[in-house]
Amino acid sequence: MATLYSAKLLDHFRHPRNYGALTAPDISYESFNPLCGDRIRIEVKLAGNEVKEVRFKGDGCAISIAAASLLTELLLASKTITLVTDDQLIAALESDIKPARIQCALLPLEALRAGFKAYDPTL
Amino acid sequence: MDELFTDLEKLAKVEKRVAMATLVGTRGTSPKREGAKMWVGEEGRILGSVTIGGCVDAHVIADAEKALALSQPRLLQVDLGDEDAWEMGLSCAGSLDVLIEPFDLSTTTLIDTYRSIRTAIEQGKTAAIVTPLKDSAHKLLVFEDGAISGTLGTADLNDEAQKIALELMRKRKSATLSVGEAPIELFFEVHGPPPSLIVFGAGHVSMPLVSLAHDLGLKTIVVDGRPRFATRERFPEVDELLIGIPSEIAQTLSYNSSTFVVLTAHDYKYDLPVLKVVLPAGAAYIGLLGSKRRGKAIKDFLKESGIDEALLDRLHVPTGLDIGADSAAEIALSILAEAVAIKSGRRGSSLRERE
Repeated sequence: MATLYSAKLLDHFRHPRNYGALTAPDISYESFNPLCGDRIRIEVKLAGNEVKEVRFKGDGCAISIAAASLLTELLLASKTITLVTDDQLIAALESDIKPARIQCALLPLEALRAGFKAYDPTL
Repeated sequence: MDELFTDLEKLAKVEKRVAMATLVGTRGTSPKREGAKMWVGEEGRILGSVTIGGCVDAHVIADAEKALALSQPRLLQVDLGDEDAWEMGLSCAGSLDVLIEPFDLSTTTLIDTYRSIRTAIEQGKTAAIVTPLKDSAHKLLVFEDGAISGTLGTADLNDEAQKIALELMRKRKSATLSVGEAPIELFFEVHGPPPSLIVFGAGHVSMPLVSLAHDLGLKTIVVDGRPRFATRERFPEVDELLIGIPSEIAQTLSYNSSTFVVLTAHDYKYDLPVLKVVLPAGAAYIGLLGSKRRGKAIKDFLKESGIDEALLDRLHVPTGLDIGADSAAEIALSILAEAVAIKSGRRGSSLRERE
């Protein structure tokens, strides 16, 4: 694992940031990979369109957990609900993510986008 | 143990008086353990058994009828001569103590006592009835939280019996022990939730594992994040199928000295977070599918995460007994055989090697 993944990815896998649940979140959405079983839930508290708090919970591979952890940080840094892109998140992992594993990296983003859509269909 | 409660409820509808025969002591070979029960109704109905049948049950029935006729409890000691043991299919002789108590089902608190135990069990808790062998009219009921009901006669004896009962409840073991300065023989009848198997991972080994566990009378639960795997079609006998984040589900389940936990996902994504929850939770057995090498890597990772080494020693990896298992069904058999052996405090070796 150490040779495949960056120190940053491994650090976020071993010590995920913003792990847990929120009380009465505005957005809560869970995505899963039906074959490998990765399952990530993202929760967000908003003030208008501004992101106030983010948490995630889930059991997944190193890539999906690290990606979820990094996503929460990107989201809190940007404070807005639309700005994180696929490329941004994959770049944040600082690892050579093979095409077959892109799905793992984007699983938390998929949950977040679906959550935003459920919260406000115009987003 | 469910059988006990249903037998009693059945009898309460059709019999006015019954004798309750309880196996309270065994020496040498015994096909049943302490706590086994047989009911003999005044009208002749017989339910349950303190052995596998044969001459001992015949003795018990005869003495139960005497106990009912005289309205007095009896302590029956049956020494099995070689001839008797042979009759029962036993390879060697043993000795059994059976306490036989007559009860009037319309007036005694027997049914209430067992109903309150049943309620505790339905809440996932253990309870024990403490009975002096020579004065079985006095009974003490001890619950898992330390609460007691009834009395053995003195507060000191109640206190001492309560402590022992709590220890035996932890081990889920019924036994007769001498208690007090002027020793009194007390039988501790321990009851608890039925054994259960919680399987994390709905893969191919889990299917025969659940099926075999069902046949063994275990309540079974399968947990997975994949609805395509955790299906009724794949697990027709399972009691509960739980789909979601496995480690989150793991936190909602209860674990006790009759719970077997087996992780079959063979994937660190489930194994690591689920083990963090279940290792400290007090299950009787925790098994992880995988090689020794994989097991070491998982343990090293958990140790780095701050999991206590003593907890890691509780993990059986590779899971199962060394029976040369190859197919999924054989692997399931080896896992359950090890789990049963661990729960019973046995090594899982051949019976012929047992001293």
